[in-house]
Amino acid sequence: MSCPPFDLRDYFFKELPNPRQREVEAHVKSCQVCREELDRLQLTEAALFSLRDEEIPQRIAFVSDKVFEPSPWRRGWAAFWGSSARLGFASAAMLSVALLVSPLVSQLVRPAPVGHVSGVPKASSVVAHVSDADIQTRIDNAVAKAIAEVDARQTRKVAQLVADLRNERTKMLVAAAEYDWSQKRANGLRISASAYQMPRIGAGEVK
Amino acid sequence: MIFRAVEDTDLIRQATRGGVESYNLLVSRWEKRVYNYLLRITANREDALDLTQDVFLKAYQNLRKLDDATRFAPWLYRIAHNEAYSMFRKRRPETDVAELEPEATGNKITLGGSSVFPIELSLAVASALNRLSPDQREAVVLKIYQGFKFEEMAEILSCPVSTIKSRLYTALELLKIELAPVNARGMS
Repeated sequence: MSCPPFDLRDYFFKELPNPRQREVEAHVKSCQVCREELDRLQLTEAALFSLRDEEIPQRIAFVSDKVFEPSPWRRGWAAFWGSSARLGFASAAMLSVALLVSPLVSQLVRPAPVGHVSGVPKASSVVAHVSDADIQTRIDNAVAKAIAEVDARQTRKVAQLVADLRNERTKMLVAAAEYDWSQKRANGLRISASAYQMPRIGAGEVK
Repeated sequence: MIFRAVEDTDLIRQATRGGVESYNLLVSRWEKRVYNYLLRITANREDALDLTQDVFLKAYQNLRKLDDATRFAPWLYRIAHNEAYSMFRKRRPETDVAELEPEATGNKITLGGSSVFPIELSLAVASALNRLSPDQREAVVLKIYQGFKFEEMAEILSCPVSTIKSRLYTALELLKIELAPVNARGMS
């Protein structure tokens, strides 16, 4: 095969470290057997290169292609709810408004007390008490809940998107198969048409 | 060597940060190579195309897991290899993967007859490659046609360099014998 301790094939594939590569190169120049072996390897490689690379029949879909895009409704939905921070802020703002408005509304709806009852705090002091401690906790809870909901929604949306993609891919495969079949049929018809010869009516031909 | 205004490693970094266009550029750079690798190990255009699509989608989903951007090529081919063998297993689950042959679907690879190489040589090469075992064939494809180093091939195929060399050199011996008469006629 090759002179020990060299592996001519490692040399051929340029897999030897540089000093060893030069060593083998020098050896090959003076060794007829190794030179012939190297020629055979080169011929084999050249023969293998007769199989050329094919062009890809259609370009690979980009991740930004329409096929990977969600529907406009989903895009709008995602744009609105896509950000957890935005959702958290919106939820907190709504909760704050609700907390501020609800005592006032309840005060308007309830009939005013007939007599003064000692020990019952005024409405303004209730609002002040709630806004200090409870509001922050409620906001935190609401934000955490909203974020959890958004995460769950995002997971569901991703699952739906993957399912949609699979459906699209199946449709594309079916369409490609149909196209391939029609191409084959057209080729078959073309071959039959070319094989068919019109009867010739020549002067010397027996009718 | 082809000069590239933007290196793959830069594109990978940008794609990891959400740069979809960078990833698209990566796809356009690599799709032909990956497709031809898959075509040579599956011998079926439709399968190769579907697998190529799956490979790039999977690579995009897992791009953040690629620790070293300079190892993108072996990492990508590892995904391609896994996808192909996963398909083989699904189709014939009872067969040992080492015994799996490419699908004989009648949709064979086009032979590259050209002004440089006669069609007879291409036929002989295709036939000789088909006679190799799938492991040997894949080693030849990765080394000769895709130009990977042994170390990278070991990463792609998840086996030691010694195994890779053994498969490749056995395959080369067989190919040398198979192609010697054609070489003597056509290329000398």
